[in-house]
Formats: sequence, structure tokens, C-alpha cells
Amino acid sequence: MREKTTTLYLGPQHPGITGNMMVKLQVQGDTVVKAETHVGYLHRGFEKLMERRNWLQSFTIVCRICVPEPDPNEENYSRAVEEIEGREVPERAKYIRVMTLELARIATYLLWYGGQSGSAGLYTMGQWSVGDRNYILDLFEDLTGGRIYHMYIWPGGVRRDLPKGFKDKVLRTMDYIEKRLDDYDKLLFENSIFQKRAKGVGIIDKNKALEWGVVGPPLRGCGIKSDVRIDDPYEVYDKLDFEVPAMEGGDVWTRALIRRFEIRQSINLVRQVLDKMPGGEYYNKIPNPHKWTIPAGDAFVKTESARGEFGYYMVSDGGNKPRRVHVKGPAYVHGVSLLENLLEGENIADVSFIMNSLGTCPPEIER
Amino acid sequence: MSENILSKEQLLLDLLKKKFIINESSIKRAKRVEVKVDPKEIIPVLLYAKENSRYISFAHMSCVDWIEDGEFEVVYILWNPEDKINFFVKTRVSRDNGVLPNIDFIWRQANTYEREIREMFGIQFEGLIGRQEFILEDWEHMPPMRRDFDTAEFVKKTYFNRPGREDAKDVREFVQERTDEELPDFAKKYSRD
Repeated sequence: MREKTTTLYLGPQHPGITGNMMVKLQVQGDTVVKAETHVGYLHRGFEKLMERRNWLQSFTIVCRICVPEPDPNEENYSRAVEEIEGREVPERAKYIRVMTLELARIATYLLWYGGQSGSAGLYTMGQWSVGDRNYILDLFEDLTGGRIYHMYIWPGGVRRDLPKGFKDKVLRTMDYIEKRLDDYDKLLFENSIFQKRAKGVGIIDKNKALEWGVVGPPLRGCGIKSDVRIDDPYEVYDKLDFEVPAMEGGDVWTRALIRRFEIRQSINLVRQVLDKMPGGEYYNKIPNPHKWTIPAGDAFVKTESARGEFGYYMVSDGGNKPRRVHVKGPAYVHGVSLLENLLEGENIADVSFIMNSLGTCPPEIER
Repeated sequence: MSENILSKEQLLLDLLKKKFIINESSIKRAKRVEVKVDPKEIIPVLLYAKENSRYISFAHMSCVDWIEDGEFEVVYILWNPEDKINFFVKTRVSRDNGVLPNIDFIWRQANTYEREIREMFGIQFEGLIGRQEFILEDWEHMPPMRRDFDTAEFVKKTYFNRPGREDAKDVREFVQERTDEELPDFAKKYSRD
């Protein structure tokens, strides 16, 4: 007897990921035979908008490209402008940028804990980790005035210096988060439900991973040590002492373990940055933004975000507005070509689970 | 160390120049090699970079509208994970009926980039398979990322204002009229010059 194929529309609203995206699934019984990503529910035309705004005005748009982790966007945008213009950034600002990026990485992973466990039906984990993420958002509020969108890293440096007593506050928060990670291990990684759901699911072929454009924790979860912070160091990552964890496996479980290790590594990086941070200026002033022109040229800069390599291709025609800003988030590959391929043969119940493990973020697919 | 890296970059350029017709080439900075080629050279150059020079990772693909030249510039960015070098391949096609070769048989994720560029700029890719619509839906107008597509004009023509806001005036103009007060020139007031 031939099994009937049914079309199932998963999304655009669903619990698997941040933002709206639909996956059209062809299923036989509980098994997915074909998956097709449909985007367009979040297209706000940011890249087009940026072409109409001056260099400084655009920097307030870019952070909105990814809600869970806006800082790599700000950093990428600023660094692309600085590379084309040849603008120097004070050393202190670079350290502050790295601190911000690492804090953002921890916050993103804490949110990911919630999403990943939530899509397996383990809701307590999410309540704990998202609650703890708020302590990091408190730090961002102190530092930048904003909890989610910071608009803090801008061309030439950062918008303001560290407030009084901020260093101690960060260190206290890092101690707290580090302590909490043991609780997370007990709740999630030692949980047999999570282990059974995650092991052997959504496997990425190690031999094809680089060619398919897999980046970030999913790539390191295939056993390939690849990280922009090491491979193409930016800001002051080359002055910091850290290692990139990589593990063989390629499944959801390995990707989760990689993220678990990386939170500890980011805590270590934040401590190092605070320890080594020099004094001095935090901002190399730009000219009047209305008259600020940038020499013709182009740049492609990359940052290692929590979900993988984040890139900005920027072109200037010598005017006071960008000619083109093209954003490439990791989800552009993870959420479309990789996801469509990985879902084939998987169970319907694992679709959201896999999407989450890849760090799919629809806003960056359509910008 | 830097000499070593630069020599690797130079080596790639020398090899490419021997085998293909390269219009322009440069080493912009350490870790960045760039070549400009004609559209017909795209597939041979990319295939050679992938198969022979270990540029196995397809990092990015973008399109820039140079309306004053009547051309689109399409940029392919490859990454060599061993030598840690970015390789830029640029080509130009006409804005009117630009056609480029499809490269998704080399890197399958290029399919997504090509579909987006086809939709947003109107460049056709020979033999590209995939849904015609990627981000837009029922779009009958000019591809929106072209420089001559005026977003503000499109919004004015397509949408209407809420009753009571038909004038759709800038709020500063509105305040100026009501209060009869000259508002400061903010650009001048906050200028650092």
C-alpha cells in the first residue's frame, strides 16, 4: 500500500525560533520527506532603508536585524565603515567592544537554552535561563541605556565609557552565571528526555559542512575548529587567551554541548578583558554626521556571533550614504539550504528542535 | 608571517592570471585578494578556486547597482579555511537584461543568494531552479533593490493615510505652522564643526 503524502505548514508563528518563518513540509506518517523554507513575513527592507540614510543614521537600524543578539550587527557595521574610511579605534574601545560582544553571546546562549529545551517540552529550563539572562540585560541597561537594542558600538569606538562600579557588577554577574551553569547541567544535560531527543538527531555531514556553508556551533559540533575570532581575529581577540571547543558528532546533542562550553569560555573572556582593559579614550570622534563622507571603496567584515559567522559587505561611492550594505547572517544558510536538507527523513516533532539547534533567526534571512 | 601570507595571495593571483582572462586584480590588504572578470569566466574561476586552491567555503554573494554606469556588479566572496584568505571575484552585467551563469552546482547554498538577487535586482541566472518568489509575494513592480525604485514614492502611490492624516506632513512642518515659530536648524545647532 502506498503511503499518503500530506502537506503540513509549520509556522509562520511557532515556538521553535525567534521571529516568523514558515516551513512547508511534505510528510508521510510522522516522517518529513521534503521541506521548503518560506520567508517574507519579516521583510522590513533595512538594506534599502540604509541606502537613504547617512552613515550614522544607519547604525540605529542594524541592531534590529537580529533581536536575540543585536551587537554583532553594530560591531560589523562600525568595523566596515572604519575599514573603508581607515578610521582608527582607541584600544580601550576595542576591549569594551569585545566585552559587549561576549556578554551578548552569553545572553544569547541563555535564551537559546530556553528555546532548545522548550522545543523538547522542558519548560523549567527556559524559565531559569531566561530569568538569568535578565541579569545580563541589566548590565546592558547600565552600560548603554537599552536592554535589547543597545546602539552602543558605533563607528569610531563606543558611545560612552563604562559607568562607575560597572566592572565589579560584571564580575559579580559572571560569578553568578558560572555557578548557575552547574544547575543547568543537572536540569538539561543530565535529563534523559533531552539526551534521547538530542542524540543522533539532525546530523550534519562533517565532510560536507564547510562546503555547505555551515558556521558557528553547528560547524564546531562536527569536529571542525573554525571560529572567526581565531581564524580572522578582529578587535583584540588576538590578545586574549582562549580555545575553540570542537566535538565530533554533528547532531543536536553535540551542538548543545558546544554552546555549553562556550558560555564558560565567554565568561573567561569577559574576565580577561576587564583585567587587561587599558585606560584612555573610548571614542575617536567622527565629523559632523550630516557632512560625513567616506571614500569610495568596499569592505567585507566578519564577526563570530553566538550563531556563527556574521558578515557585512559594504560599499561606499564616496558620498554621505552607503551605496550598498548587504548583511549575511548565519541563518541565511542554516535556515534555508541546510535546514531543508537536514529535515528530510526526520520526525515532525523534531523539526522545531532542529531549527533551534541551528540557531535559525528569520529576520536575518530577509533583513 | 605577513610575507608568508602575502606570498600565498600572490600565488593565487599568478595562477589565475596564467589560466584565465582576468580584467583587473589586486591584493587589497592582507587576507584579501580580488579579481574582476567577465561573466563567462565566472564558473571556470570559481571552480578552479574551489577544486585547486582550497577556497572551499562560499562566504557571501552580493550585488551592487551602479545605475550611472548602467551595470550591476555581482561579487562572490570565497574563504580558504587553511590559508585564512578572502577571495573576491567581481563581475559586471547590464542593468537591462543581465544574465549570469548559475553556480549552485558548485555550492548549493548559492541557490538562495541567486534567488534573492533575481528577485531584488532582476538579474537572471541561467538554469536556476527554485521558487520564483523568495521574500516578496505577488510583486508586479520593478525589483525593489534597484536604485531607481523609490520607496517613498511607492508607498505614496500604494497606501493611503489614516483619516485625519491626509496631509502626511512632517511633524516639524506641522509644529512650525501651528506655532508660527521658526524651528532651529538642528544640523547646524548640533554641528561639531
